Amino acid sequence: MSKLENVLKKEPRRWIMNLVFAIAMILALIYSFSGSSINILRLQTVGIQFKLMLRGFSEINWNFLIGTGLYDFDEGIIYLALQTLSIAFTGTLIGSVLAIPFAFLSSKKIVGKFSKIGITLITFIRVFPEIILVLILVKGFGMTPLACVITIGLHSIGMLGKMFSEVIDNMDDGPIEALDAVGANTWQKIRYGIFPQIIPDLSSIALYRLDINVRSASILGIVGTTAGGFGAILSLAALFVDWRTLAAVLVVIVVLVLTVDAISSYLRRKLV
Amino acid sequence: MRKYTTSSGKVIIKPFNKIWIVLAVLIVLLVIFDQFIYSYQITLSEIGVILKKMFTPDTNDTWGDYFSYIFTLKDPLVLTLQMSFAGSLIGSVLAVPVAFMASSNIMKSKWIYVPVRTLLNLIRTIPAMVLVLIGVYFVGTGVLSGIIGLSLFSFGIMAKMLFEAIETVDMNPYEALESTGANKIQAFKYAVVPQIMPTYVSYLIYIFELNIRASAILGFVGVEGIGKSISDNIPANYDHVGAAVMLLFVLILTIQMLSTHLRGRLQ
Repeated sequence: MSKLENVLKKEPRRWIMNLVFAIAMILALIYSFSGSSINILRLQTVGIQFKLMLRGFSEINWNFLIGTGLYDFDEGIIYLALQTLSIAFTGTLIGSVLAIPFAFLSSKKIVGKFSKIGITLITFIRVFPEIILVLILVKGFGMTPLACVITIGLHSIGMLGKMFSEVIDNMDDGPIEALDAVGANTWQKIRYGIFPQIIPDLSSIALYRLDINVRSASILGIVGTTAGGFGAILSLAALFVDWRTLAAVLVVIVVLVLTVDAISSYLRRKLV
Repeated sequence: MRKYTTSSGKVIIKPFNKIWIVLAVLIVLLVIFDQFIYSYQITLSEIGVILKKMFTPDTNDTWGDYFSYIFTLKDPLVLTLQMSFAGSLIGSVLAVPVAFMASSNIMKSKWIYVPVRTLLNLIRTIPAMVLVLIGVYFVGTGVLSGIIGLSLFSFGIMAKMLFEAIETVDMNPYEALESTGANKIQAFKYAVVPQIMPTYVSYLIYIFELNIRASAILGFVGVEGIGKSISDNIPANYDHVGAAVMLLFVLILTIQMLSTHLRGRLQ
């Protein structure tokens, strides 16, 4: 037996563990399908449904989409897209402002070991599902886009607070010490020592959150007919198979999200 | 105070601060966007009322009744876990070959990775709920529609994160293998896969967490699971909504903690 074969034999038998892991995963996957009923009838309708889908996409009602002809502008889907953008933008702005105190509260550099309290609070906000938050808030703010704005604002605190506090923790102490040395007061230290360092990072994070918020603002309105965004139209489309509406909404969502993505990543590149 | 003269006679002009332009733009945008956000009658006290309805038992019930409802949520919970798990796994497995094709360090040709990335960007723009709704159109409101929708959702995210991870790996082992005559797939298997495996597993856990979180909203398009227990009990039984929300919250919190812990150990 050659030397090489001996070395090869010493290699740990990882494949056994891998096999066990793979089998466990496959079994779990099979179990996951146990709740779903797959039958021949259903598989036959998939083909028909696919044709209906293609027809839905080829027969998009452009008047309804843009809001012309029979439809007023504020009945069209473009209007809903602008509303979604408004909700996301305002919500992100509110969230960014609210996140700053939370970020300072959960930054080790500022509050030391009390940062655990802030971190826990932020985690709880992040984990609480947005859709439940909006369900609660529509009671106070009515079935209106305002409720969605507040929801997005409050929910954004979770992620923004966490990322902002990381920025603050990674801040360079040098400029603050230098300002101390020349006799600057607290406000001057914040203005000239902290702001210039963190504002580009904070804006970049907020722009990233805007991307996410546009996606969530588009569906939050599902809680009620007048809550803004595409939610109401989607919940109607969920009641019966309506490919034409869904196709129109999809086209608009894709264009909206891609546009916001492009603008936000352009601005982020300029910031960093 | 835009001009300073130092004792040596040098004149320093303070540059214009661009933050004012940014603030002006923000305010203008806010005014424009405000046209789309209407509201009427804000009654904040109602929020307290609804919270009390959700997180305390109904007037005729005891706390025992309230918590015993949580145990009846076992079946929807299992359905939610089933579709989140299957969705994450199927989507993540399908994402591997696509991520392979989307990474510029492995596919040298622009003609391959640019179209693949464009397709991925398109999929990622669609919210999970809409993808699940498409699933509902095809196969009805069972778990299967959730699996289809969440698979697509997981696929989009995983493929994007994975190709970005692949692009940051050390390419020396890959080139060494290629120089010994290995083809692209062999070189990928032995040089890239061992490097990205821990990242892949941690992304998988993260995506599972995202899917569980998405399941809260799926009830609104009729899909079975914990989300349906929430949307079905509105507006009649807010105490049941509250109980389901608590269960979901604890579930997400647990998975989040587990995933942070595991990801910390993997990386």
